[in-house]
Amino acid sequence: MKRKWERDLGLQGRMIFTMFLLAVVYLFFLAFFSYYGTPPVYMILFVGFFMAIQYFYSDKMVLWTTGAHIVSESEAPQLHGMITRLCAIADLPKPQVAIVKSQVPNAFATGRNKNNAIVAVTTGILDKLSPAELEAVLAHELSHVKNRDMAVMTIASFISTLAFYLMRYGLYFGGMGEDRQRNGGSFVLIWLISIAVWIISFILIRALSRYREYAADRGSAIITGQPSVLASALMKISGIMSRVPSEDLRTVEGMNAFFTVPAISGSSIMDIFSTHPSVEKRIAKLEKMQQDMT
Amino acid sequence: MGFRDFIDAVLGRSRLPKAKTDKLFAISTASITLESNLGLKSSGAAGICFKPIDASAYESARKEIQELLEYSSKETKTEFRLEKDEFNFLWAIFKDPDFEDLVANIHLVSETLEEHGFGEQLLCAIYRFDSEPEDGKPGGVKTIYWIYNFKQGTYYPFIPLSGKQRDSPFEFRLRAEMEREMPVEKNVEKWYPLWGIPF
Repeated sequence: MKRKWERDLGLQGRMIFTMFLLAVVYLFFLAFFSYYGTPPVYMILFVGFFMAIQYFYSDKMVLWTTGAHIVSESEAPQLHGMITRLCAIADLPKPQVAIVKSQVPNAFATGRNKNNAIVAVTTGILDKLSPAELEAVLAHELSHVKNRDMAVMTIASFISTLAFYLMRYGLYFGGMGEDRQRNGGSFVLIWLISIAVWIISFILIRALSRYREYAADRGSAIITGQPSVLASALMKISGIMSRVPSEDLRTVEGMNAFFTVPAISGSSIMDIFSTHPSVEKRIAKLEKMQQDMT
Repeated sequence: MGFRDFIDAVLGRSRLPKAKTDKLFAISTASITLESNLGLKSSGAAGICFKPIDASAYESARKEIQELLEYSSKETKTEFRLEKDEFNFLWAIFKDPDFEDLVANIHLVSETLEEHGFGEQLLCAIYRFDSEPEDGKPGGVKTIYWIYNFKQGTYYPFIPLSGKQRDSPFEFRLRAEMEREMPVEKNVEKWYPLWGIPF
């Protein structure tokens, strides 16, 4: 077969390793609780409840928070036609299509599974990209849907979020716990452990998110057969990004994890805290793919 | 969701599903039923649509297809042309009054692409049929497309009307009539429209 370029074992290896480390950290955290016998039941229920809401209503929440509105086939025939063909060739159910009225060139996908997915684009991206580049960006978003990134990231961050809440409110809850007498000052220990777990898992989750981003880039290149087109789309999006006024950026901040390019550019933050790999790295990987194809 | 799909999702692995070409020939026998039972005649046009990719290996496959088609079309006297559409998909379009020649040419293209390892790039094959003009209704000829989806390995009817409308009642009737004759896609969500079919 002439499709060697479709595989990236290094990326898969790093992804498995990151997930493994996350699992180790989480198991340690849970083991710690079972050892001390004070599972923060209320906190687990609380975090679980909110994450479940986020998971099951992500599509609707995204529509509210970004001001995206679903467009029908007659409203955006070109966009629908493009997505229809991409879904047909990749054998995916067609997601709902939404447009955000914003000059920030961006696109994102959400939804807990293939059948509840929404792919949204901003009017800015529709103006700026050529049809082929737009297709590559849409294929990237469809790959997020296909890879179930929403579910993967929700599961990956569940215990991390729990640790975060314990870190913030742990001392308060710990002080109220019914096991206070038995455990004495252990809630300080819980607090410290929570901080450590949160920091480590935060970095791991960010790494995982970046790997998922590379994976979606590869998915796009495989669906469209044109890695270099996605590369040029990324260049266009990122170049324009720095010149957009910041008011617009803030309104879309919440959905960063699912944006093609994060609205807040990560130049001031260290790479390990970023949800997206740098555009330069993504372009380099796509160029490598393009070379492997020929 | 199968186990393999699950693993692919967790690892973020992408691959295009393989083309299923085995049911492509089902249209041959079905065309006889379409004509005798429903009065739908082949309009002598068919096409196959695939997504080109940026690779030199693909380029050589495309050249081979062109050469093979030039050769085979001389033999069968089939008119053919290659054409890119607005979505950058490539079409090979055939015109021939002999339906079997149409099927043979479509098969030639899909087979050549598969041999070169590009079967995944195949989107669909389409056969065009026309209904007989109804008595006393001039211009009442309907255009019916039978679309073969290579990812599903099934056919489905597509009857475009003006203004991006579909003649769904007739499409459903065709499914009911033809279900036993050919593999018709059961999931109507996969009955993707293709607007502006270039023949």
